[in-house]
Amino acid sequence: MTAILQPGFWVFILTMSGIYGIFTLGLQVQYGVGGILNFGHVGMMALSSYTMAILVIAHGFNFWIAAASGVAVAALGGAFLGLTTLRLRGDYFSIVSIAFSEIVRYVIFNSDGLTGGSQGSLAIMPIGDAYPSYTDTWDTILYWIRDHLTPIFGEVADRDMAMGILVWITLGILLFIVSRVERTSWARVLRATREDDDVPSALGKNVFRFRLQAVIIGSIIGGIAGIYWALQVTLLSPDDFLTIVTFYAWMILILSGATKVKGLAIAAIFFGFLYGGTRFFTFWPFSVFDASQRSYMRIMIIGIVLIVLMIRRPQGIFGKREEMVLE
Amino acid sequence: MNNLILEVNDVAVAFGGVKAVNGATMSVEVGSVTSVIGPNGAGKTTLFNLISGAIKPDSGTILFQGFEIQKLLPHKIADRGIVRTFQGAKVIKRLSVLENLMLGAQNNPGDNLINFFNPRARNAFEKQARERAMALLKQVGIERFANDYAGILSGGQRKLLDLARALMAEPVMLLLDEPFAGVNPTLVEKLLEVLHALRTEHHLTFLLVEHDLETVMNISDRVVVMAEGRVIADGLPNSIYENQAVVDAYLGTRKLNS
Ligand SMILES: Nc1ncnc2c1ncn2[C@@H]1O[C@H](COP(=O)(O)OP(=O)(O)OP(=O)(O)O)[C@@H](O)[C@H]1O
Ligand SMILES: [Mg+2]
Repeated sequence: MTAILQPGFWVFILTMSGIYGIFTLGLQVQYGVGGILNFGHVGMMALSSYTMAILVIAHGFNFWIAAASGVAVAALGGAFLGLTTLRLRGDYFSIVSIAFSEIVRYVIFNSDGLTGGSQGSLAIMPIGDAYPSYTDTWDTILYWIRDHLTPIFGEVADRDMAMGILVWITLGILLFIVSRVERTSWARVLRATREDDDVPSALGKNVFRFRLQAVIIGSIIGGIAGIYWALQVTLLSPDDFLTIVTFYAWMILILSGATKVKGLAIAAIFFGFLYGGTRFFTFWPFSVFDASQRSYMRIMIIGIVLIVLMIRRPQGIFGKREEMVLE
Repeated sequence: MNNLILEVNDVAVAFGGVKAVNGATMSVEVGSVTSVIGPNGAGKTTLFNLISGAIKPDSGTILFQGFEIQKLLPHKIADRGIVRTFQGAKVIKRLSVLENLMLGAQNNPGDNLINFFNPRARNAFEKQARERAMALLKQVGIERFANDYAGILSGGQRKLLDLARALMAEPVMLLLDEPFAGVNPTLVEKLLEVLHALRTEHHLTFLLVEHDLETVMNISDRVVVMAEGRVIADGLPNSIYENQAVVDAYLGTRKLNS
């Protein structure tokens, strides 16, 4: 019960919210603009984080090159998924996308020699006899920031706080860029494809190209989230990339009102607090259950809150209601 | 070689057992207005879908300006200058009326993601296109809805939007599927004027499906009659009245202006 009183816990929640926010922004481009239902988004996060970790730990790559490569691999993953399935009907894409992310996870889980398998990134064979860590470069930055925060925040300033700041700056920049992209005619065409293929194609728009680009951009953003995820958890495990993570992002997206980026940051914080806060539901009646039962109940409570919100405000916190009633 | 802009040669397509278009042959002259008439289910809309690439023929060829287009994807055909409207009109409901029109603008640099980094080119194009779009909306009389969702438009207004959007694309040849059905008579006259001006000033070619015979007779250079997936007559507007097959299949005992 004491953790709830500590600022460190809430900094942690905010950081995770920010990472989820970045992750969800990728889905927002795909679904909010393009109407593409991607349920395998977490696969892109897995690809980028593991690529980065392997390149740094096993091959001694410079962190920045490794991180950029990770994001590039996520983009390739998106391109592969899109090229193979995007020509099919939308629901096929959704199904295949889940399979895609699960396959990525299974491959990671079963490639002990490459990924460390079930033991995670700790078991990746390091180059030389170094400790299998990929955070050294980043930590230098974090500690530099922390040292500059200490005069302001005193003891509270730590690695996590520095991380949180960088995550939120990144989310802010990405939100800005994406909101600009969504004002281009590219996004207008993509929005049209959300409703209908015939009209844009009859006007000379290659619908497939627009969708593919949306999936790739979303995957790049998902890949960036993956790098931050890796840096935040410091040790990767295949279990970090369960399909449920994609659905958390979907919750955030639906909460924020999918068609506008405006509410995304707030929805991510809302979700973070809901997710983190329910951890402290140890009092009666929750005290009747043991810890593992309670962790299931958290998910249930989050689900119920979301259902209630959806009924009261189907357009999300910031969405436009009129858009939902047009026939 | 000739002045035919479109040549449809023995084209056929079947949906399951339904032979929607069953060996249709017809052609359209450059700069002409050609109307396709025929009973419901004759295959007129399917023919439009074939020409615009929305569906692929099982057999036969379609030539536009001498090039085979029957295997091209719809957007490639649109790039060549064939733009169509949809029977009953299709609008993107969750885009504004103006945004719907802007979709029609061709070669928009903003459609290309690379030009995200070239806002000057994008904005200049958008500004020009928006002015043209507003002028077109004015011409079809729905400019006051420019910033409303297209989903709020009435059926007739949607047709006007569909037409204006097609014009926005500056086509070489315009396929109009029942453009005047459900549009009020005064507006029909106004639209006919607009189309006539496009024809004389921009040498636009029209292919249209229309059930209103009076309009067809007044505006068409040629009339193509379809029934059961085939072209059963093709000729000058008045000649079709003398064609017994046409009278049997479509006209019945009706006579123009009688
Ligand atoms: N996608 C489709 N699948 C199955 N059958 C179809 C399809 N499109 C058209 N048809 C059938 O093909 C035939 C021709 O239809 P089409 O829409 O071309 O007729 P039309 O001449 O445009 O008629 P109308 O004047 O009523 O618009 C009809 O019998 C129709 O049911
Ligand atoms: Mg029809």
